[in-house]
Amino acid sequence: MIAKTITAEELGALVADLVSAGTRVIAPARAADGKVDYRAITRFEEAAIGAELPRRSLKEFFLPPTEPLFSWHQGKGDVTVKPVAVSFPPHVVLGARPCDAAAVEILDRVMGWDYRDELWFGRREATTIVSVACPGVDGSCFCTATGGGPDSKRGSDLMMVPVDGGYLVEAVTPKGQAFVGAHAARFVDAADAGTTAAAEAFRTGVRSRVAEHLTLSLPALRRWLEGSFDHELWRAIVLRCHGCGACASVCPTCHCFDIVDEPEGVRAGTRRRNWDTCQTARFTVHASGHNPRADQNARFRQRVLHKFSIYPGRFGEVLCTGCGRCARACPGGMDLPEVLKTITALVGTGASREAAV
Amino acid sequence: MNLYQPNLVTISDVIDETPDTRTLRLTFQDPQLAAGFDFKAGQFGEYSAFGAGESTFCIASSPTRKDSIECTFKAVGKATRAMRELGAGDTMGFRGPYGNHFPVDRMEKASVVFVAGGIGLAPVRCVIWNVLDTREAFEDVTIVYGARSVSDLVYKRELAEWAARPDVKLWQTVDPGGEAPDWKGEIGFVPAIVEKAAPSAKNAFAVVCGPPVMIKYTLPVLEKLGFADDRVYTTLENRMKCGIGKCGRCNVGPVYVCKDGPVFTARELAALPQEY
Repeated sequence: MIAKTITAEELGALVADLVSAGTRVIAPARAADGKVDYRAITRFEEAAIGAELPRRSLKEFFLPPTEPLFSWHQGKGDVTVKPVAVSFPPHVVLGARPCDAAAVEILDRVMGWDYRDELWFGRREATTIVSVACPGVDGSCFCTATGGGPDSKRGSDLMMVPVDGGYLVEAVTPKGQAFVGAHAARFVDAADAGTTAAAEAFRTGVRSRVAEHLTLSLPALRRWLEGSFDHELWRAIVLRCHGCGACASVCPTCHCFDIVDEPEGVRAGTRRRNWDTCQTARFTVHASGHNPRADQNARFRQRVLHKFSIYPGRFGEVLCTGCGRCARACPGGMDLPEVLKTITALVGTGASREAAV
Repeated sequence: MNLYQPNLVTISDVIDETPDTRTLRLTFQDPQLAAGFDFKAGQFGEYSAFGAGESTFCIASSPTRKDSIECTFKAVGKATRAMRELGAGDTMGFRGPYGNHFPVDRMEKASVVFVAGGIGLAPVRCVIWNVLDTREAFEDVTIVYGARSVSDLVYKRELAEWAARPDVKLWQTVDPGGEAPDWKGEIGFVPAIVEKAAPSAKNAFAVVCGPPVMIKYTLPVLEKLGFADDRVYTTLENRMKCGIGKCGRCNVGPVYVCKDGPVFTARELAALPQEY
């Protein structure tokens, strides 16, 4: 792996290089209300790298909240279908949080098994993700409990760790190495021992702070979930849930979607894929009116099961990176890390299906 | 063209099965697909009326009849109501075939018992024709089919055809009160008629599809008749959107119905949480 350093000035120049070459640069940046969102920037000065966690994850840049799948036009007795492009112009994400970068790689599994989602992978291939090691956000963070970490390189093509005056940069993937090669003049070779030690101290410091928030045994959690479908916990904890789906919207790994037709006039229209969520009653309701998940208990349980039992069972990893956004966004005060803590306590007492009412 | 873009099909025939149930025969507009489209009994597709969206149904015709595919549906939602407005010559969208299938190969050299209720005959009919078109490969064929009333029985012309065949034992029934004056079939609920028909479980498989309540009471009857739960097959109808294991909608317990199903054995079904 190549370890390089880059100064803040050179990073600014690198953004200018990219923008002038026609690359779309996405970075955390302040919105008009002062909050931070990932958005396209044209100047490095707009970026707020390593500031607070962006409100929404990177998901929308790979699976947009709404996107056209194709459009159609109805002629006399026939229909013409116009496909959408499945290749995309180059993008660079600068200053991705490790929890958001990891989520994108986790979602590659579901988007690629058997049927390969060309729209997802088209955007993945066009995008280079440059992450920045996270200084930690608040008590809702629990990335280390999900197998990640504030310095996890997973899903990143390059990882930057803040050091005095700039960043220590490590190329994680061949794409990341090519990126460094293409912009070699902006980087300084091999960091000195002092810089490397400072970066290491930063990483271990944050990691141990986040680990204090929550520790999970993922296999034990999964075993409990798989034996506790009818546990009273599901009824008790869900009372505050409104079923609004804000958690799924801000979640970097929630990826459920709907497919709907949007007519444009009488004879034409676009079929679109829109974000959807298992937290709403309409998600599973049959045309007959029968709803397999008729109450919010079942819907919240589904969200937890999908993340910590179903997805690991199918794809070998949990569908959660511990970013904590669901807990921060919930208007009802539902708190996933608290729920996981509660379950962990039940696991500790050996309470599973036997304790169910 | 991406995964979600449908193939264009032309409605070549419209058959009204009951006052609210219709069958559409569809032919692919792409000549290559029209010649080469293949599927297995029990697989499903996403059918669309442009402007109203997609709806999920099994392919109701048999893979042994390759010139077209058929779907049978009730107009209950937005997409199906729009499909009902379409007529012969109109264009629709079709994506598929998706999902697993009934193991017709495994059933060869064995007897097959088909049990269906209402529009649940559609996926079963696909297997029935698959079996009847290669009839010599199978032992006894028994069909028990019921609906609420005589007018709710679907595929009436085919029921008459099966009734006339010496190599098919057909039991038709309607719910009490659903009979017409000239009704010559049984009167009673499907599970009771299965018990009365008492097909032998020896070297036999069962294929069951119908309303959840029919399935619930039929499975114990089959068990009593001696059918092992891994030789009883059914097909799940869960709400779906993508059909290809991405959108998360049809998830039941650890299973993606669109990928691991829609065909399951009674044994597999018993292991799933009641979320279907």
